[in-house]
Formats: sequence, C-alpha cells, structure tokens
Amino acid sequence: MLLPDHEFLKPASLAEGLALLAAGPGARVLAGGTDVVFNMRGRLFTPPAVVSVRSLPELQGLHERPDGSLDIGAGCRLTDLLADPLLARHPALRTALRAVASRHVRNLATLGGNLCLDTRCWFTNQSEDWRAARGPCLKTGIDACHALHGSPVCVALNNADTPPALIALGATVTLASVRGERQVALRDFYRDDGIDHTVRQPDELLTRVIVPPTTDRVVFLKETARQGMDFAYGTIAARADGHGARAGRITLVLGSLTTAPVVLDAITTRLVADGLGDDAIDAACAGLRAALGPLTNLYSPAAYKRELARTLLRRALLALREM
Amino acid sequence: MTDGRAPPPGPGLGVIGRRQPRLDGFDKVSGRSVFADDIELPGMLHGRILRSPHARARIVRLDTTKARALPGVKAVVTNGDAPDLVFSERQPLLAKGFVHYVGEEVAAVAATDPFIADEALRLIEVEYEPLPAVTSLRRALQPDAPLVHEWAAGNVAVTHDRDFGDPDAAFAESDLVITDEFRSPVQHNTLAEFHVAIADFSNPDKLHVWTPTQSAPMYQMALAKAFGLESSQVRIVYGNVGGAFTGRGRAKPHHFVAALLSRVAARPVKIKATADEEFIMFRGSGETLYRFRTGVTRDGRIRALELDVTFDAGAHAEWAMILWLPALYPNWLYRFEGLRYRGRFVYTNTVPKGSNHGGIMGRMSAGWMQHLTRVAEELGLDPAEFHRRNAIEAGDHARDGSDFGSCGLKECIDRVVERSGWQVKYGRLPPYRGIGIGIGAQASGGKNASNDTSAAMVKIADDGRVTLFTGIPDLGQGSWTVMAMIAAEVLGIEPADVNVVGGDSDIVPFDWGAFSQRGTFMTGNAVKVAAEDARAQLASVAAAALGVQAEDLVFAGGRVHIRGEAPDAPGRSLSFREAVAKAFHGGEGRYVMGRGFFNSPRQSGSMAFSFGAQVAEVEVDPESGAVRVLKVTVAHDLGRALNPLAVEGQLDGQVFSGLSQVLYEECRMDAGQVLNPSRLEYKLPRTWELPEVDYTLVETIDPYGPFGAKEVGEGPIVVTMSAVAAAVANALGEPLPQMPMTPWRLLRVIRHHRRRRARGAPGAAPR
Repeated sequence: MLLPDHEFLKPASLAEGLALLAAGPGARVLAGGTDVVFNMRGRLFTPPAVVSVRSLPELQGLHERPDGSLDIGAGCRLTDLLADPLLARHPALRTALRAVASRHVRNLATLGGNLCLDTRCWFTNQSEDWRAARGPCLKTGIDACHALHGSPVCVALNNADTPPALIALGATVTLASVRGERQVALRDFYRDDGIDHTVRQPDELLTRVIVPPTTDRVVFLKETARQGMDFAYGTIAARADGHGARAGRITLVLGSLTTAPVVLDAITTRLVADGLGDDAIDAACAGLRAALGPLTNLYSPAAYKRELARTLLRRALLALREM
Repeated sequence: MTDGRAPPPGPGLGVIGRRQPRLDGFDKVSGRSVFADDIELPGMLHGRILRSPHARARIVRLDTTKARALPGVKAVVTNGDAPDLVFSERQPLLAKGFVHYVGEEVAAVAATDPFIADEALRLIEVEYEPLPAVTSLRRALQPDAPLVHEWAAGNVAVTHDRDFGDPDAAFAESDLVITDEFRSPVQHNTLAEFHVAIADFSNPDKLHVWTPTQSAPMYQMALAKAFGLESSQVRIVYGNVGGAFTGRGRAKPHHFVAALLSRVAARPVKIKATADEEFIMFRGSGETLYRFRTGVTRDGRIRALELDVTFDAGAHAEWAMILWLPALYPNWLYRFEGLRYRGRFVYTNTVPKGSNHGGIMGRMSAGWMQHLTRVAEELGLDPAEFHRRNAIEAGDHARDGSDFGSCGLKECIDRVVERSGWQVKYGRLPPYRGIGIGIGAQASGGKNASNDTSAAMVKIADDGRVTLFTGIPDLGQGSWTVMAMIAAEVLGIEPADVNVVGGDSDIVPFDWGAFSQRGTFMTGNAVKVAAEDARAQLASVAAAALGVQAEDLVFAGGRVHIRGEAPDAPGRSLSFREAVAKAFHGGEGRYVMGRGFFNSPRQSGSMAFSFGAQVAEVEVDPESGAVRVLKVTVAHDLGRALNPLAVEGQLDGQVFSGLSQVLYEECRMDAGQVLNPSRLEYKLPRTWELPEVDYTLVETIDPYGPFGAKEVGEGPIVVTMSAVAAAVANALGEPLPQMPMTPWRLLRVIRHHRRRRARGAPGAAPR
C-alpha cells in the first residue's frame, strides 16, 4: 500500500508547529510515524498535510522537577526512555514501555504518539479495497458500526500500552496550542468514542508528560497472543500504597478492552475498605462485569475479554499484595 | 537443541552424513542472494490487479476509459482482452460478467510506476449488483443454501469415496466403536517472500517469467497452454525462493495477468502482492470438517477405520487433487481390516483453497490423533502402546498397494517414549499439564503423473570444478546444498567444489519440482546417476593412465587411487583435477559431462515412506487459556540423514510451524473477507516460543533412496501437529474439537469443567 499525496511540514520550533496546526484544517500530527503512516497507507485518513513534530526541541528531554516529579518530552522515543536511569524509579512504567511492539518500532515510536495512538478496529484498520467491500462505518463516513451493530459511537479499541500505566501513576499531560497551554490529568484525557478518542483538539499538541513521584507499589501486566511484537488482548496497571493486604489508596486501570482505558473506581473503593484479602479480591473480580459494560468481539471474543479482565485483575492484586 | 546423536558419515562415505553448512548461506545472510523482487528489467512496468470487493455479484458495468487515459498507464486489461483464457476448472482469468469471491481478479493495469498503477486502479469504474453468497462451509452444506455454481448441486464440487478391505464387516466385528468430530480453520502459507511475478512477453514467441515456484514445469505448462505456446516457449526463472509450504505448487492468477499485461504493453511487467493482497489472493488451507470413526478389539487392535472429510474448496476446485490423500494415509501407518473414506470438496464464495504447510495430513492428524488417543484410553491402553501395537512394519504390503522397503515406525515410537520420560509422565502430570504422542508417515515422492521424474546434468571444467545442473528449486530447505553433497560424494570431492546451477527452465534439465517430499529422493537419485556417469568417464581415462581396470579405482578425498593402495601413492594415483585434465587434454579431448535421470518403476504411489513419532509436553494456564509448549521429543525415520545440520533445521522449522498451526494460526473469516489480513493480526508465534526440541534421527537406510535417504520435508510437521493437539487434550482431559486451540477456546472448556465440578458432577476434571 502506498502513501497518498500529502504535504510534509517540518516546523523548527513549537511555536511554528502550533501555528501550522492552527492554520491548516485537517493537518495531521506525525511523530514516530509507526501508527499514522500505516493508517495513511490504508487511507483511513488522507490529510492534506502532516506536521512532523518528532524533532521539536520543546518535545525532547526528560528531567526531574524540584518536587521530584518527572517531566518527559512527548517526543522522546520509547527506546531512549527505557535507557534513561531516571525512569528506573518507575519499574511498572518501564514494563509498559518495553511491552510496546518491538524494538524496531520502539526505536521510532514516541511517548506522545503512544498516548495518542489511534483506536483500532478490524473492520476499519484495513486497506481501502477491503473497506470498500464492507462499506464505510462511523469512522470512515456513515452512520453504521460493523463491530457493534446499532452502536451510536465508534467502539474501536484503545490498544496502547502506556496509558494504563501512566494513568495509574497519576500522570498529567500538557496540551499546547496557539491559544495557550493546559494541563489535563491523563485519566481525563480519553473519551469513550473511538473517533474523537481524546480531549485533544485538532490544533493542540501534546508536548509534555508529568509523572508525580511515588513510593507506592505499582504493577503492569499485558496479555498477548504471542510473546511480544503484538497489541494486547488486555492490560492492567495497578497501584496501591501501604503494605501487604492493607492499602489506603488503590488505583486500577484496565487497557485494550474497550474504547478508552477503564479506571475501576467503584471496585477500588471496596478494596480500600476490605483490604487485599482473598475474599475481597474475589469480590472485586465479580464486580468487573458491571464496571466494564458491554464488550465487543474485536480481535478476541467478548466472553474472553471479560474472563481475561478478571484474570488480569486477580493477578495484579495478588502481585500488589506480595510487593 | 541437538543431543549430539546426529550420525557420523556412513561407512565408506566422506561427505554424506556430514554436518554441512548451506553453500549459499553467506549469500543469503549477507543479502547478496537475488530474489524475484530484486530484479529490475529495462523498461519494466508495474502491474496492479483490481479485485472484487464482493463475495458474489453481477458486473453491471465495467469502464476503464479514465484509467486508460491516465498518463503513464501502458496497459489495462479486462476479460475482453483474454476472453478464452481459463485459469483453472471453468474459471476465467479475469471475471466474466460475474464475480464469485472477494479478491477475484476483475481487471489489471500496468504503468510506469507503482503510484500511477495504483491511481489507475482507482479510475476503473465497476458497478456491481450483489447476489446472495455462500461464505462458509456450513452454510454451503445447508439444503436451502444458494448454489455457488448452478451446475454443482448441493454445492458439492467433487467427491472421492474409497473403501479398502471390508469396512462394514470390520466395524461389525469390532468390540468398541468410537466417533469424534474435528474442525480445522482457514490458514495461510505465510511465505517469507511475498507473491511476485515479473513477466516479459514483449517478444510474442517467448514468455519469460521470473517468480518463486515449487515446480517450474507446472508453471511452464499452465502458462504455455493459456497463451497457446509450446512449453519451451515459456521460460521460468526461479533463482531463490523464500519459502513455499505448498503455496507455490501451481501458477496463480497474477502470473497469467502479468503475462497478459506484458503482451499488451510489449514491456516487462512486475506484479507484487501488497501485504493484505497476500491474504486475499492466497490459496492456503480451507476450512475442513472431519468425522473419525474407529472400531477396535478389546485387546487394542484396530479393525476398522472411517474418515469422512469435507473441504471448503472456495469458488473453484483448483486443488481437488488433495481429496484422495486422506484415503491412502492410514494405509501407511496401521494394520487394519477395513477402511472407509468419504471425501468431498464443497464450493463456497471464497478464494479457491488447497493446503498449507503439512499438506492436509497435518491438520487432519491434529484431530485424528486426539481421536485415536481417546480410543486407546477408552480401552484402558497407553496410547503409545496402542500406536505401537497397530503400527506397520518393514516388509508389510498395505491395502493401497504400498510396500515398505524400510520402516522405523516402531523404533521411532520406542525412542520418543524413552527420551521423553513418557512412562513416568503420562497420566501422572499435575492438572493442566499435558503430554501427548503422535505418529505419522509420509510418502517420499511418488508417481503422481507421467512426468513425475527428475533429471540432472554434471559438467566438469578442466580445472576440476564441477557444475551441477538441477531443476529442483531451493525453497530454503537446502536442496541445492544436499545435491552438491551427493555429487561430491560420488566424485570424491568437496561440496564446495560443486557449483549448483538451478532455477532457470531454459538451462536446467527437467525436474517435476520440490513438493510431495520428492526432492531428496527423486532428484537426489537423478543427481547421483549423473555424477556416476561423469565418474565412469573419468574412471576409464584414469584407469588407462594408471594401467588398471576402471572398477579398481576409488574416488575419494579429491583423489583417484587404486583400491587397497594409499590415496596419494606416487605414480599409482591422480588428483581429481589431474584426472580431469587427462581427459580434456588427452588424445580424446573429452570434456566430461554426466547425465542422469530418475523415474519410479511404479505405476503410481511411492517407493519409500518416512515415519515419525513425537511427544509434546504442554502447560495450559487455566486462568488465561494460554498454552506453552515445553518440549517436543522427535524421532524421525528419514532413511539416512544426508546432511544432519539441514535435517535439524527442518525439524526445528516443522515443530515451530506445527505448533503454530495447532495453537495460533487462523484466518478469521467474516462474510467472505479475512478480518486479519496481515502478519500483525494473523497470529504467528515468535522464534523464542520454539520449545526445546530433542532429536533422534532413525536411519533405516532405504533400499531405493540415494544413499538410503527418504524424506524429512513434511513428515515431521504432521506428527508435531498430532502430538501438540494430543498434549493439549491431555492437559484438559478431553479432546478439543477445533483448532487453533486459542485461549478463548480453551477457557470455554475449562469454564465448562468448573461449572460441572461446582454442580458436583463427576469426571472431566483434568487429572
């Protein structure tokens, strides 16, 4: 599949880049290109221009702020982040980073790119010829969903690995535009809509990722069909303070099962009250069905997704208890 | 991975049996090897094919005007350009009024660059009227299903029914009869090298095609017939081939389309499949339904076997030849009184399909060996003992007419039982750990057509350098290296002194190709004869020079010497090069050229069969449904390991591909479309998921094979698939009715067990 015609714009500074995004309707942000280029080849979108941001100096670098939080440039390559000693303090985040695709892809892919990774659907992420046979969908032009008939919104999966881990770590992201800058908690960044799947506006650029310091226990688990080089069937990031079965604050985030990462608030509240005992963990798993809502058969059957979610939750909680 | 059991060279052998690295290894890993896609011909155009988006439709309108007007477009073809060109069965090369499957070739363009060709495809206007389609095997078999072709009642394309012995009486005399069903999915050949063809038909008297193939003659004959040429007017060039796995046995539509475009444009045309086209135009395995029935005596003797197999042929029965194989297969494994086979090929509105790695025996055995394991267990017998008790032996004459000049089946079973620790593990593993045994046999070539033969030529330059001309393709299996070894062994020189020239039908002598595990056996025999012919010519010259009889000479270690004397005895021996020089520069001026061919003396069937047994150990994660293969113990009777290094490569590759097919691979079909047409979504394991493989090479020295060799090209994967499937069934305590055995299919079984246990129901808990 060949790339459709487009203008390739390479701004030298953030200000120039934001101006380009503000000026060009439909201009697409391109960082590592591991997702956007592939989707453009399939003509999922054919933007008049792409704005390459990977080399913008304002999106580079990783440093520690005085409050101990990490300030990570959205343009940092995943490979570089994995090599950075400052990241050693967040082993679960490292696990999530290393879980992304393959080394070849991580050599190109950026953190901002992974956070903004487009949602995926096997009726949509296909060549143009393939889609022509099926007819368009919500994402490609008409009012129909092939994955969940009658669905009013696109149910494509958020299949990125780093969002659950960074949400669990309480990360915030900086969105910049010619209109100014705003901070958004990552847990508020995603929307339950496979088309407009983040709150980022078309003229905004995700520039920095801030990860606050923590001494909490954190784990990240990912289930795939094969060992690596794969999108997840399901992921979980889990975090708790305290020790053993006692925890005063727990965060649980499931990924790759639905259109957006799922933060399990109701379940967490009960676990804080009951502790991480076996019965409480069983009860937490039993409560997942309600928390997850309807699931699709995209890439794996819904019944499997539901059971996998329970397995991931159980394993994550048991792991926290042992930490 | 090796336990060092690879046999040393046989007695009196210098090269055969040695661990020979492949002669083209450096070229391959350094990127020096040229594949079809590397070839750029002067003036070459890029072709693209417009494919049907519908599983079934009438073509209301097809307008290529705009595409033809696009600058850079040099040819646009539709059915009107070759209305009588029938690709296979009754299938026109380009759709004629109707389309019958998603991906069917409708039109094609050739342009000066791929972007223009792509754009031109978009400018072709086609209006379709969709028609009711049958896109699954189950639907095709329903009484009210639409007919894919009006001439095929019930959508049945071809049937093949065959009985051996008296199956009815044999079932009647059985003490126990057990029936099981199984289903295997649509699977892809996943070739490393994508489908590609470059055709140069600018001279209408000669069609040149550069393309990977398993059989140049089959491509040659098909293209010659299609374009009204003699075979020799078609040249197939197939230098390096990046895998085949049954996927390159017959020419595919893109070969013909490239030729047609080239004829119209009078320039060479390249067509290369895009990543998802690979999954749209492929001809791998179709969905297949099996019903197995077995009758046994109380003491564990098989009396009666029944195999009922229904294949999804796709929209055209291109591969009906695979129908007869399952009828023969049990004859090569077991002794029995009666066998009934019922096979049918069923049309659906999907791409025509055949088989993939492991042929059809691999996928069938994944179900059949689970079934036979259950039969053994119902009798209270250890399945290894059950297989052994019923296994055929050397000297047996099977009911299909096969004779077994060599047979190490029982030895293979004994070796894997011993080396896997079967006796201490079977029935004694913790829950969700499983161990399974499978056995298999494979014909080593055969007489499947009057031209199922191989020929070879050897020429020896005056510097002693030997050139071997062979038509056998090297698909990555190392056939060129082993052919060089055979020639070197006969001539007493080193394999590195043999230059193999292959892959060009204008140059090499006839060879039916690399499939049906015929290469080592058939081509190997032809190469041996050719080298012996050359050696005889050299021997007569050397004998005259040394004043002895030709029969007294020995060719070994790069020298020609007198039997019983020192190889370098002064005045009583020659170097190989000196012998060659004496022939060429002597009075006769003989340039030594040897020729050989091999043709089976049988009317049909195979002269030799390989046998194998494998034990697989697996671990199922009952919470995630994931399966890990821990170890595979392999014993394969291959006659003789000509190159143990290449044999081990074959075993690793087939264990890997076998477990991949049983546990991972499936084209997820929906309304005739592949939902996962990419290597990202069509799940294959990664190489580090290859478990520990323990090899035992059983050498039975076949009386007909070159130096006693049979095959190791497909036999092992069939057994791997059986053993892995049986091991998973063992871990779960019941046969799995479907492959691939994905996490969700396993979890469904495990969930069912839990519910039954929660209700206090007996049985079916994993041991």
